[in-house]
Amino acid sequence: MWTFLGRGSWPTGLRGEGVGFCPVHQLEISDLITVVDPHSGHRLPVRRAEVIQQLRESGDERAARIVAELPTDRDGVLDPHAVDRLLISVHTELQRLSEELRIGERLVHLLGPLFTAIRETTGQPGPYRLVDVGCGLGYLVRRLATTKALGTDVELVGVDLDAALVGEADRLARAEGLSCRFVRGNAFDLPEAATVYVSTGVLHHFRGPALAEFFQAQAASPAHAFCHFDIAATRLAPIGAWIFHRARMRNPLGRHDGVVSARRAHSDETLLRAAAVPGIRALLYEPRGAANPFCTTLRPIIGVRPRLEAPFRQALGRDAHRMVGPEHLAGSIR
Amino acid sequence: MTPAIPLVLLGLVDAAFSGFRAYAGSDARIRKQRATARAALRGLAVGAVLLLAPTLTAALLLLTAGDRARTYDTLTAGGLGYLLPLTVYALAVLLSLAAYFALSFRAGTLAVVIGLGPLTLLRPLAVAAACLGAVLNGGGGSALLVGATAGAAVLCVEPAVHRRWYHHVR
Repeated sequence: MWTFLGRGSWPTGLRGEGVGFCPVHQLEISDLITVVDPHSGHRLPVRRAEVIQQLRESGDERAARIVAELPTDRDGVLDPHAVDRLLISVHTELQRLSEELRIGERLVHLLGPLFTAIRETTGQPGPYRLVDVGCGLGYLVRRLATTKALGTDVELVGVDLDAALVGEADRLARAEGLSCRFVRGNAFDLPEAATVYVSTGVLHHFRGPALAEFFQAQAASPAHAFCHFDIAATRLAPIGAWIFHRARMRNPLGRHDGVVSARRAHSDETLLRAAAVPGIRALLYEPRGAANPFCTTLRPIIGVRPRLEAPFRQALGRDAHRMVGPEHLAGSIR
Repeated sequence: MTPAIPLVLLGLVDAAFSGFRAYAGSDARIRKQRATARAALRGLAVGAVLLLAPTLTAALLLLTAGDRARTYDTLTAGGLGYLLPLTVYALAVLLSLAAYFALSFRAGTLAVVIGLGPLTLLRPLAVAAACLGAVLNGGGGSALLVGATAGAAVLCVEPAVHRRWYHHVR
C-alpha cells in the first residue's frame, strides 16, 4: 500500500522539496509534526488530529498515541514551541548515538582524503566550504570545528530549514566559541557555493524521484563532491535500531522514528542509481557484502567530479578498495 | 572469603556508569568531559546511598537471626552465587569497553552494536540471573531478599540521577 507523502520536516536543508511516495506504514512522526512552506520557508500550522489520522491510516497506532500526547491550542493546532522543544530534545539524544557510533571519525576518514584530493586537483588555496545539509543541531559541523580535523582552510556551515534546530545549533556553537556557522534555509540557495555537501541520516527521507533530484541539485551546483551518510540497509538494521534506540534514547518519539528510519533506509543499489547523475561519479563506501554489518551501521554514498576520483582514491590509500562505483553492482541494478 | 567487598565495588562501579547514562543524551555540547565526570560522581553518590538498603537488609537479617553464624554462612554462599553471573556480565562490559576505546571506529562500532548497547538492555536480566545464582548456591530466601534489594538499588540509580539532575536539561 502506498501513499503520497508531502515532506515538511527532517532533511531540513530541503524541507518541502522532497516529495515522493512512501509505504504508508513507514511514517516518521518528526516528518509530520513540523511543516514548512517550500517557497516561503515559513512554518505552517499542523493539526494534531490530522497527523493522528494519517498515522492511524498507516496502521501505526503507537505513533498515533505518541502524537496524541502533544499539546495543542484551542483549535487543535500543535503547539509549535512544544514541538520545537521536543525536537531539540530528540536531536540531543540522537547526537549521543552519533557520538557513540563515532560518526565524526567516519566522516573525517573520508573527508580528509577528499579535501586533500580537492586541494591537489584545483590548486586553489581556499577557503573551501563544507555544507552540512539538514544539519539539525549541527553535531558534525561543531565537532569538525572543535577538532579542526579538515584544516583551517575549510569553512564549516550547517544548513537546516528548522529555525529552532538552527537556533540551538548556533547557541551551542557560540557557547563553546566554535568557528562555524548555521543558516536557516535551503542548502542549495546559499549565496556562497559549497565545495562539498555532506549529511547524516537524511537520505532515507527522500522517496521516489526526490532522491535523484537531491543529487541532481548538487551536480548542478559548483560543488566538487558530496558525501551523504545514511543507515546501511540490511536485515539487521531495524533490529539493531530497536535495540540501540531502546538502550540509548528515552523519548518515545525518538525511539519510534529511529526504528522507522532503519526500515526506510535505501539499498545500495537505489543510492548508486539515484546518485549517478551527469557530471558526477557515484561511489559507495563499504557496500553491503563488502562490509561487516555490525561494523558499518551507516555508510556513505559519495559523488565526485570525475577528475577527482583518481586523486581521491590515491589519498584514501588502501581503504580505496572499500569504495565501489555503479559497475560493481551492475548485475543487481540493471 | 566474603563476597561483600567485590559486590559493593561492582555496585559502585555500576552506579558510576549509571550516572553517565543518566546524563548522556541530555547535553549537545562537544566538550563535556567535566559534565560527564560530574554525572559519574552523581551516580556514584546515589549508588552509595541506595546500596545502603541491601547492606541494612543483610545486617537486619544477621541481627535478628537465631543462629548468626549459620545465617552468615548462608548469606556468604548466596553472595558468591550472586557474584558469579555479575562477574561474567562485568567482564563482557569490560571487554566491550576496551575494544571500543582501543580499536578503530569499525571495531568500536562492533563493540557498541553487539556489546555495550545490548548489555545495557540486559542489566535487569543480569540482576535476575544473579538472584537465581544466589538461591542455587545455597543462599535461600535470605540471600534472595538481600540480592533482590541490591538489584533494585543498582537499577534505580540511573532513573534517580536522570530525574534529579537531567530530566529538564537539554
